[in-house]
Amino acid sequence: MKGPSISLQNVSLNLAGNCILEPVNAELQAGQLHLLIGPNGAGKTSLLKTLLGLMPHKGEVLRHWPAGTDKNTSDRLPVYIPQQPKFDAVLPVTVMDYLAASISRRPLFFRQSGRIKTQVMETLEVVAMADKAELQLGKLSGGERQRLMFAQALQQKAGLWFMDEPMTGLDGEGQRIITGLIQRLRQEQKTLVMVHHDMDFVRQYADNVLLVDGGVKQTGTPEQVLGRSDTAMLEVA
Amino acid sequence: MESIRQFLFEQQAAGVLPDMFQYGFLINSLAAALMIGPLLGGMGSLVVIKRLAFFSEAVGHAALTGIAIGILLGEPASHPFGGLFSFCLTFAVLLHWVKSRTAVPYDALVGVFLAVAIASGAALLLFVARKVNIHILENVLFGSILTVQDTDLAILAVITLLCMAAMLLFGNRALIATLSPEQAKVRGIRVNLYEYAFVLLIALITVAAVKIAGAILVGAMLLIPATTARLVTRNVMQFFWVNIVISTCCCVAGILLPMVFDLPVPSGAAIVLLASIGFVAAVGFNRIRSLA
Repeated sequence: MKGPSISLQNVSLNLAGNCILEPVNAELQAGQLHLLIGPNGAGKTSLLKTLLGLMPHKGEVLRHWPAGTDKNTSDRLPVYIPQQPKFDAVLPVTVMDYLAASISRRPLFFRQSGRIKTQVMETLEVVAMADKAELQLGKLSGGERQRLMFAQALQQKAGLWFMDEPMTGLDGEGQRIITGLIQRLRQEQKTLVMVHHDMDFVRQYADNVLLVDGGVKQTGTPEQVLGRSDTAMLEVA
Repeated sequence: MESIRQFLFEQQAAGVLPDMFQYGFLINSLAAALMIGPLLGGMGSLVVIKRLAFFSEAVGHAALTGIAIGILLGEPASHPFGGLFSFCLTFAVLLHWVKSRTAVPYDALVGVFLAVAIASGAALLLFVARKVNIHILENVLFGSILTVQDTDLAILAVITLLCMAAMLLFGNRALIATLSPEQAKVRGIRVNLYEYAFVLLIALITVAAVKIAGAILVGAMLLIPATTARLVTRNVMQFFWVNIVISTCCCVAGILLPMVFDLPVPSGAAIVLLASIGFVAAVGFNRIRSLA
């Protein structure tokens, strides 16, 4: 499913009397990779969560879906890949359980059907984790947890993706896999919104960059935004 | 229930079953244990995953106040269900509501509510003592197999069916909402609704189990079998069923063993002690497995 465009109209965020985001007006084009960059504490994650509807913001966040997409389909629900998800270290919930719970109607305390198991294994293969299916969530490394989040997101077949520093904790191989996946999603014209701090990645892959610092200070192509910013400051963010 | 009792009486008279099955109260207690065991085990799995063990403990203690209120409002001392259910459900919902509106850590908040529950229960006991024999409260605190009646079994059956339906229909979504609440919200799962529904179910189960396990000990039965099962299982399916087996065995054995050995131990205490022995065994088993 192709992704929507997103309009932000006077979107602002105040938490406990503190202004986190000044009013933002922006247009995020459909089917593009939009990167949110900015220094530490600039409000990138807050903006991402605001776009997701997880924050008590003011203003309007509107999604305009391509003509012909079914209004009621669950594919319109976005996926969210949080920054460094954590799980209880000794919980007896395996990777297979976690992914099966997302797609299976049968409760996990019954044996899952062969179809569900095959579906889960196919998704795990995409993120090179097929050999981790029976591993408990608490025993996954940071990078594996990140890849698991991608596997779960892939199951949804969504057109709209929100990712908060999805490369955190990934080793070289993991970064290659996830970068390839992001490129594939972009080719499929999904709308991707991502917080990231690696300026090489931003230069190479971003269609649109939003420089966030208490609001959206600049938008444009990587050349337009990075050419005018102190990239050293952004690298450490 | 009467026909089951008659059948078992006949079996005892024919020498098929031991002498203790001549007592109707024992049959009632076993029937209750066979419902409560799986119920505590099944829901205990989610209690541990959701880290709500302390919460269920607090609701158990709130039962004491609920019973006192029911008796003071004129309900019969043997089943003050109105006071019990309404106070425990209000207590559970209020605690959860305050949790979502304050920055106080959850364990501290439950501690405050727990103290309030015990203090208010203790304050009301003096008034209750003027109306009924105070020893009836021992049964409430530690459980008693003598007090289970057909009405209790009917209520327990309804709560069991309700919890089974909830687990079958919403178990997977509840798990996702617990493990990844923000992602669940984004995916359209009403995480808050699930949370409230779950605390209400836990409150209902706690209240339903009070007669067998006792108000002080019912929380332990949601926690100990699940903690034991967590040590020896590797996935959700194993966790759930092992938990149910442990919990059911402890409930049944906790009723039978004091009778068999003629021990003056309340059923709640016997059940929890057996569950604790299972826990120690599981810790030992895990230790040996890690060394091997």
